[in-house]
Formats: sequence, structure tokens, C-alpha cells
Amino acid sequence: MAAASRIGRPIVLYMRCLAVQIKAVLEYQADFWILMMASVLMNLVGFVFLWTIFTKIPDVNGWTFWQVVVIYSLVFVAEGVGSLFFEGTWNLAFLVNRGELDFMLLRPVSPISQVMSCAIGINGLGNLLLGGTLIGLSLSHLQIHWTLGRVALALLLLASAIATKIGLNLATNASAFWVQTPFSGFAFSMHQLGDLARYPITIYASAVQALITVAVPFAFVSFFPAAAVFSKGSWRLAGVELPLRWLGLATPLVAIYCCWMGVFLFRRGLRRYESAGN
Amino acid sequence: MALIETRGMTKVFRTPLKGPGLAGSVKHLFTRRFTDRVAVADVDLTIEAGEAVAYVGPNGAGKSTTIKMLTGILVPTSGEVHANGVVPHKQRIQNARNIGVVFGQRTQLWWDIPVRESLALLKEIHRIPQDRYEATLQSFNELLELEELLPVIGRRLSLGQRMRADLAAALLHDPKILYLDEPTIGLDISVKDRVRAFIKKLIAERGTTVMLTTHDLGDIEDICRRIVIIDEGRIIYDGDLQAVKDTFARERSMHFQLQHPPADPAAIAARVPGVKLVAGEKPVQLGVHFDRFEVSAADVVAAVMTEADVIDFHIDEPAIEDVIRKVYAGQLDLSAAEA
Amino acid sequence: MRRAYVMHAKLALQQMFAYRAGFFLGLLGNFFFLLSMFYLWHVLLKNPRFTHALGWDWSQMKAYLLIGFVTGALVSTFTDYTMANRIRTGDVALDLVRPVDYQKARFSEAIGIALFELCTAILVCAIVVAVFGGMQPPTLQAGLLFTVSLLLVVPLKFGIIYMSGLLCFWTTNYLGVSWSRQAIVNIMSGALVPIVLFPVWLQGLANVLPFQAVVWTPARIYLGTIHGTEAAMWLAIQAAWGAGLWILARLMWKVAVRKLVIQGG
Repeated sequence: MAAASRIGRPIVLYMRCLAVQIKAVLEYQADFWILMMASVLMNLVGFVFLWTIFTKIPDVNGWTFWQVVVIYSLVFVAEGVGSLFFEGTWNLAFLVNRGELDFMLLRPVSPISQVMSCAIGINGLGNLLLGGTLIGLSLSHLQIHWTLGRVALALLLLASAIATKIGLNLATNASAFWVQTPFSGFAFSMHQLGDLARYPITIYASAVQALITVAVPFAFVSFFPAAAVFSKGSWRLAGVELPLRWLGLATPLVAIYCCWMGVFLFRRGLRRYESAGN
Repeated sequence: MALIETRGMTKVFRTPLKGPGLAGSVKHLFTRRFTDRVAVADVDLTIEAGEAVAYVGPNGAGKSTTIKMLTGILVPTSGEVHANGVVPHKQRIQNARNIGVVFGQRTQLWWDIPVRESLALLKEIHRIPQDRYEATLQSFNELLELEELLPVIGRRLSLGQRMRADLAAALLHDPKILYLDEPTIGLDISVKDRVRAFIKKLIAERGTTVMLTTHDLGDIEDICRRIVIIDEGRIIYDGDLQAVKDTFARERSMHFQLQHPPADPAAIAARVPGVKLVAGEKPVQLGVHFDRFEVSAADVVAAVMTEADVIDFHIDEPAIEDVIRKVYAGQLDLSAAEA
Repeated sequence: MRRAYVMHAKLALQQMFAYRAGFFLGLLGNFFFLLSMFYLWHVLLKNPRFTHALGWDWSQMKAYLLIGFVTGALVSTFTDYTMANRIRTGDVALDLVRPVDYQKARFSEAIGIALFELCTAILVCAIVVAVFGGMQPPTLQAGLLFTVSLLLVVPLKFGIIYMSGLLCFWTTNYLGVSWSRQAIVNIMSGALVPIVLFPVWLQGLANVLPFQAVVWTPARIYLGTIHGTEAAMWLAIQAAWGAGLWILARLMWKVAVRKLVIQGG
């Protein structure tokens, strides 16, 4: 019972902090709808882009239209969860620059969870809905033989993919402790690097593939999980050939690694924190 | 060990060195140079439970930096810090359970929700049992008139309201130590009085230890018994407030309004030795400065009345303000008081 | 009075230097996008159906993508975000009290920064060309017309971004508006997909909107797809949109100031 409350309490507290943000957001109803529309629009533009391309060609490097849509949408889904539940991470640069982190450090709650829950991005809802819909749509078009095992695998990989993105968000935003601006420039650039993983990474040169697989593992947010479910043969890099099935299974490990990195870098950064103002 | 104890606590900040204007900014792109600024140097501080300490110094002296190190926000560059039996920046969460902090310039309340909900959230964060929470709110209602603030949304609070709400928020969990960083800044006198009364009550009834940094010397005289003066990162005085006043604020002055200009000022001075006579703005005004331990006010009045016709007079009390001003101006060496 | 506007430009540039880290990292982000497009189109153009539909080969496509990058970099740092923030916090009241024309002042800032953006964007292009190989240089006439077109992009983009920034007088949270604007401009300017690949009805829509003048028109001029009088016509359209948006913005401004609601604490 005590153990359950040890895990349960922080989660309840986290949700309460998020709830505070929702109230603030819902104050502005017009903005809510504008944000939702914006995220739907962005999703749609991406989809139109892919669709325009695939009207001319049957596949890209062996990846068909609907398979590419899955990869593309997985990024949106991961972003959606990040925006909805962990948006505060992107405010870290602002909090550090203005010294507003102080109050979080004065409360008997982990500063990481306070930072992550200090904002909510309603656009995440739009991303989740549209991204999820597109994935569902794609899966219905693809002839996949769904066994119980396969479904379990897909769900595990989905969760891991999302966790990877969250961990990477935290790790890159921790740069706020080292860079003296109120904008999360570095983190945002890395986020855009992650956009490379919207497409089958086999189109890229080896160096780029290595970059987004090993250095900043964005490929594990979309490409490898999807590939594992579609069981598309193997992946070749620098003379090393690995079956995609195995690489897909590495996603949970990558997720743990990225989350750990995020926490580690945050703690390191906190030691350097100098708290602006008088 | 004392409740708060520091030894050799030091904090050095590193800032980029940049020339002014566009040229300076461009240059800094290439030649990255920094300068080290010592904000706090070698501070030894010992505060026992139940004390009320004033922490005073000119702007930029290092007051806020000290508080931030004591509360665990900043990591000291060197030296030791202990509070509540832990090292604040290492066991931040444990330390946070026992402290309350009010920053005069910023609020810890959430911007977009009513005060009531900010306090409710803090209740959850500090795991305060419902009955204790309600009792605490009740007492705050009486002392701070909190009730009228509860429904107000954070960003809509006026400065005075915000301060009362922040105090409530900082003390909701009955912390052992209360840090106040410029709490009465910008407040009108009625709110200031209420805040001071509240803090005094806290010290008296709950034994809360209070550390107060302020420019408002009225706060100090009202609340604190001990004063620590910091200048350019170093502590230049640490001791009893009254002792400082008795040692350095000995001078009292009386100002007389006379019927006619004094005929023979020297005669007045002869009656009460050791006084200094100062001519007022008008010839009918006379100021007398004297050491309040050497000469009594009654003697001065008697002396003046004997030699002149007095219409009116008033007395200026010694204020810690004068002492501080002299210390800031470098005119005073306080080590004499500590001896 | 002109000195005041020059001061605005200078100050804006200086602020940019203060936040140079942020700027360069933003640039890096755009560069990643460029990179992904390069690889993607390289693979796509191996398919003859694409090259046929486009009418271009890989070397020309590279130029297209780089033009998209450069025009994207122009007037990207000056923003809408700065404007929006000042409106949201009420600081805009200070701007309104100053004896300078709000729109002209913002434009001066944008121009000041645009110079810097242009230089860095060209630098990045040089690097990309070094890595991915050269592109066909344009003919002299095409090059000259292209330069004009590129210059015309600045007031055009300013008009779009400025007007969307003005929307902040009506909404409180600007993010959604900005993202919508970016998404629409991205697709309708041809930055994502050359407009010739659109279905016919979408092409028609794109041609009547100002966004195609941001990428599609300058790119076609550079690559020689349009030349002579046809190029001149599209240049005129580009200029007309720039002027038109400017005027439209002034009207919008009048309405906005009347509706001024100061938000924030």
C-alpha cells in the first residue's frame, strides 16, 4: 500500500499541476480552437505533401505510401503526447533565464516533474487525434497479420517510441542550463533534426543515418518501431547488417537510455544554475 | 549544531565581458572573455532556532545570493552550508519541507488560478493534513485577512494583497525557518504594519526562525533583535541590534523654535557640557546635538529655556538608519561594537 | 525621421547578436529540414516520372531547394513572436507612444535583420553546394531578374508575417496563429512541393494567393522556367502583392488599434 502511494502520489500531484494549466488554457476558448486547428493543419500539410509525392511513384526505397504515413504520423503522435503531458519541458530555457526555477527548487517535489507539468500544449490533442487517425487509417490499408503477440509488440513499441521522444526532449532542453538565452534554441534544432526521421531513414547518407540512430536516436521514435512491426527485412549501415526485427526490439532500451540521459543532464545542469535577478 | 550554520561560504559568478554597442557584440563572438564577480565571500553565519535576524546591505552586497545558497537554490562555489541538519543544495527536497520563502519582487503563487487553489495545491505538495490545513487558514484569516484574497486570481492581486497571500503560501506548512527577501517593498504603511505584526506573532507563538533581508529599516527595528551587515560580499557586522544603536547611534538632537534668536548661545552650551549647537534655517531656530548617554533631554531643555524663550521643540531619536548610512559611506568601523 | 528607422534596424541587429546562439540554432533547424528534403528529392528524382512531371533534373532541383531555404531564412527571425509578445504583455503601448510609424519601424527592423539573414543563408548554401555538388548557374538575364525577385520577397514576407502578428490584437495566444501561418505558407509557397506537382485545382488556388511569390516565382525565374515577358509578369504580380499587403496591413492596423485590449498583468 505504501509502495503504491509512493508511486501514485507523485503522479496524482503531477496531474494536479497539469490540471492547473488546463484551467488557464481553457480561459481562452478561442485560443484552444486555434491551437487545435493549427496542429491539425500542420498534420494535414504533411499528409498532402506525402500524398502528392506518392501519386507519382509507388514506393520510396521499398516503403509504400501507407507505410511512410505510419512513420510520419508516429512522429506526430509522440509529439502529441509530449505536448499534452510534458510541454513544460520546453519552458525550461525561459524558467532558467528568468530565474523562475527558484520557486520550484524551494518545494519538496522533484524539479523535473514540476518543470514538465508547468505547461500544457493543447495542440498535442490535435496531433494525437490526427496522428492516431492517420496511423489507424494506414494500418487498415496495410495487410498485416495481427496476432496477439504482434499487437502486444506494437503497443510496447509505441510506448517506447513516445518515451524516447520525451526523454530526448528533456535531454536537449537541459541545454538551457548551459546556454544563456530564454529560448530553447538547441532543443528546438534537435527537434527539427528529429524531423529527418519522418521519412524512411534509408534515403539518407550513412553519416546522417548514424546520426539519428546512434547520437540522437530519433529513428527509434518512428522508423525502427514501424519497421519492426512491418518486418521489413534488415538494415545495413557501414558494412553491418542487422535484422530490423531486432532493432525494433531495441526501442524500449533506447527509451530507457534517453529518459535516463534527460534526468542526468537536468541534474548536472541544476548544479550550474545561477538564478537571475537580485 | 545551530539551526543554520555556514563556514566560509563563497559564491563567484562568471559573466561575459562585452564592449558596448554593435561592435562590442561582434567582438565577443570571437574573443570570448569572462569576468569573475565575487558575490559572497567567506561568510560565517550561525543562527539558532527562534532567532530573528536582519540581513542588511547595499544593493548588490550579496544578500539575495546568501539567501539563495541557504535555501538550496544556488550551489556555493566553496565553503559549507548546513540548515535544518542537511546541506540545502544536496538534499533540496528535505530542506524544502522545513523552509518558507517570500521574495518581495516575485510571487510563488500560480498566475492563472485563484489564491484558494494555489494554497490547495501547496497543501498537496507539502502533504498537509486537512484539519491542520483548515486551522492554519483560519488563523491566517484573522491575522492577514486572507479570506478576501482567496477567490482572487493570482495575476489580479495588488502588491499588498500579493504579499499577504505569499506569506500565507510560505507559511502554510509551518516551516521552521522563514526567509523574507525584501517583503515590504512597495507596500503602503498599513499593510506593512500588518505584515510586521504577523511575523512578530509567528516568532513569539511558533518559535519560527526568521531571516529578513530588507532596505526598510523600520522592518528591522520592529522585528529583529540581531543584525548582520554585509557589504561587497563580506560580513562587516554581526551582533545585537540594540548594542549597535547604543554604541554608534548615541547622538540625539533636539530642535527648538524660539521667540527671539538666542542672545548668548555660548551660555547654553556652558550649562550642558558636551553638546553641539547648530543654527537652524531661520535665526529663531536652534538645534542641539548631544550624546544621549552623557546628557539627558531634560537637562538640555532646561538649559535652553533658561537662556531663551522657547515656543516649541521636538526630539529626533537615533535610528539604525543613520548607522547603516554611515557604514555604507565607510564612515564607521563596526568592529569596535563587536569587541 | 529616417535616422529613427535606421536606428530601429541597427537595434534589431544588435538584439540579434545578443541572441546569436538562438539565431544560429534556429538556422541549424532550417538546415536540417533542407537536408531531409535534399535526400528525399534525390531519391525521388531517380524515378523518371518525377523528372518528367517536374521538367527539372536533380541539379535544378537542388537549386530549387536552396532557393526555398534562402527565402525561408529571410524575415524569419524578425517576428511576429516579438510583436505578439509585446502586444500580449501590453508593452506595445510604449511603441504606440513613440513618434514613429509602427509599421515602418517594424519594417526597418525586418530589413536590418534581413541583411544578416541573407548573408548567413548564402553561407549555408555555399556549404551545401560544396557537399552535394554544384548546380547549374542561371543565365545573366535570369540571374538579374532573380535578384530583383529575391529582394521583392522581403516586403512580401514582411507583409505576411506582420499581418499575422497583428492578429495578436484579437487572440491572446499567438502560437496557434503562427503555426497555421507557417503551415499554409510552407505548402502554398512551393517550399515543400513544387507547385507544378499539385493537382490542377490546387495549382489554381496557389496562383491567386500571395504565397507562391515567396518561393515559386523566384525559383522559376532562376531556373529559367519562365523568362522574358512571362517572368516580368510574375515579378509584377510579386511586387503588387508586396504593395497590396502593405496597404492591407495599414488598414488592419487601424482596426487593431481601435480594438486595443491590453492583456497580461
